[in-house]
Amino acid sequence: MGETQIASAKGPGGALYDLGYQRYTGVRLQRANSVRTLFAFSLRTAFGLGRGARSKLIPSIILGIVFIPAIVSVGAASTTGFQALISYSNHLQFTSFLIALFAAAQAPELIVTDRQYGVLTLYLARPLTGVLYALAKLGALIAAMMVLTFGPQLLLFLGKIFIATSPWAAFKDEWTVLGPLIAGTLTVSAFIGTVALAISSFAGRRAYASASVIGFFLLVPAAATVIRSLATGETKRYLILAHPIQVIIGFGNWIFHIEAKRRTQVGRADLPGSYYLAVMLAVIIVATAVLLLRYRRSEA
Amino acid sequence: MSLISTRDLTKSFTPDVVALDNLTLDVDPGIIGFVGANGAGKTTFIRILLGLLPPTSGSASVLDMDVRGDQMAIRRVVGYMPEHDCLPIDVSGADFVAHMGRMSGLPFQAARERAAEMLRHVGLHEERYRLIGGYSTGMKQRVKLAQALVHDPKLLLLDEPTNGLDPAGREDMLSLIARTGTEFGISVLVTSHLLGEIERVCEQLIAIDGGKLRYNGPLATFTELTERLVVELDDDSPELATTLRSRGLDVDANATLLRITVRDDSTYDLIRDAAAELGAPIARMHLTRHRLEELFRDQVAANG
Repeated sequence: MGETQIASAKGPGGALYDLGYQRYTGVRLQRANSVRTLFAFSLRTAFGLGRGARSKLIPSIILGIVFIPAIVSVGAASTTGFQALISYSNHLQFTSFLIALFAAAQAPELIVTDRQYGVLTLYLARPLTGVLYALAKLGALIAAMMVLTFGPQLLLFLGKIFIATSPWAAFKDEWTVLGPLIAGTLTVSAFIGTVALAISSFAGRRAYASASVIGFFLLVPAAATVIRSLATGETKRYLILAHPIQVIIGFGNWIFHIEAKRRTQVGRADLPGSYYLAVMLAVIIVATAVLLLRYRRSEA
Repeated sequence: MSLISTRDLTKSFTPDVVALDNLTLDVDPGIIGFVGANGAGKTTFIRILLGLLPPTSGSASVLDMDVRGDQMAIRRVVGYMPEHDCLPIDVSGADFVAHMGRMSGLPFQAARERAAEMLRHVGLHEERYRLIGGYSTGMKQRVKLAQALVHDPKLLLLDEPTNGLDPAGREDMLSLIARTGTEFGISVLVTSHLLGEIERVCEQLIAIDGGKLRYNGPLATFTELTERLVVELDDDSPELATTLRSRGLDVDANATLLRITVRDDSTYDLIRDAAAELGAPIARMHLTRHRLEELFRDQVAANG
């Protein structure tokens, strides 16, 4: 009704007229536009934007937890002039656990609800294939996780530079860390994100999917620890690669050039850092393949 | 240009389960009713047209585009309203329909404008800003129709759009469909297992049973084929049935109830004359229709 009134008010001489049905004669965008649209919509969904209040709860809490230490750290450093900010690698380890929780909560939100409520049917009746659908969702989840991992790190980075007496000099010292920061947060986000989505693609309900993802990140480490305690020698060293959390720690140490403490598991295993990266990449590839195969059946 | 065209279209899920059996048909633009009992293959047919299911054999095209090679182009100009639930719960109707418009290729602003326009067309006003989870079944059906229309398709595929609606809701949905087809000039293929329902809005009719084509043509012809005149007598009068049969009418007699196939107006004259001759006590006469299932059974019997 509102539209009719507005339309008639704009009419020449204020004459009333009914627009009736109007054909759409404008531009029709290609498939890439559909993929971009789905990516952006899903990224918003990952943070509960454009959704009800309840959908915003978990993302807000996790956003708070990952950003507050970085904000406090930068704030404290700027007022006291004390330079001991949280280290990048500490922050990566700290957020790994939280983004795993985030992925467990939001990966199902991104794909299980579409299946559960039948929305997937509508998407696939659009110019979009099942594989593109899955890729858009995967991209959105990884991007959301980057906000949680790279976001606070970027804040720490900027903090270090602008608190310094000579920001330009600080930037020249620090900028080399940007590469590892982006590569590190991206790899960890993709590692957790692809696993979470691949597992969720088999669940019929959100709760099952969330439980399965959490189960994966709890049971696999537990199993790896048990098996490791039984193994000896060389095998024991390599079995650390079966433990997702230790893999992330080992990878973080490597990428930020940190010597692992000797008493930690990673320190004792003393494996080349590239091994951790190789494991993560292998998991990312396998999980992505599983996800895409799951959705490939949906297209003709 | 042919709206929908199929040649020997067959879809079998397993060797035993044949959903569509050698369907060959050509459909012209307009409002088309697609009837068949539940499980007759209606949804399978729609899913093949959208390129969501590959045919086992044979071919099908929509607006002269092949369902195997051009499914992306087809989906850009076809709107689909599935039978079952297909809406998210925690998004508003306005946001969701606009999103679906963008998914079909409309730019942001155009999608928002058309979403508002389509929701108004289907009769959702202020409610469109509320979350879909709080909508009634009728409102959800309207959103489903709006999302199928938002990108201004050339063809709408509506799968059992009246399912789950109360009588008033059915009435509303049917008049919306009729308006969409006539005022908007969009071709509509609407499926139903209830012929009586969609015959009021459609111009053409396709009837399938067990995946086989039973009828494809104007609705009027189908109506003639399936109409029966029921003659109720006050008491048993077997002579009337016998007499009518001897005069060439197809009569199904059951005590005081005669069901007669109407060929043309002369049928009424024959009944009048016979009743007058025999003094048969006619209590009531009315036109009725074979139920779809009966029609199919008769045809199967006739063919077999």
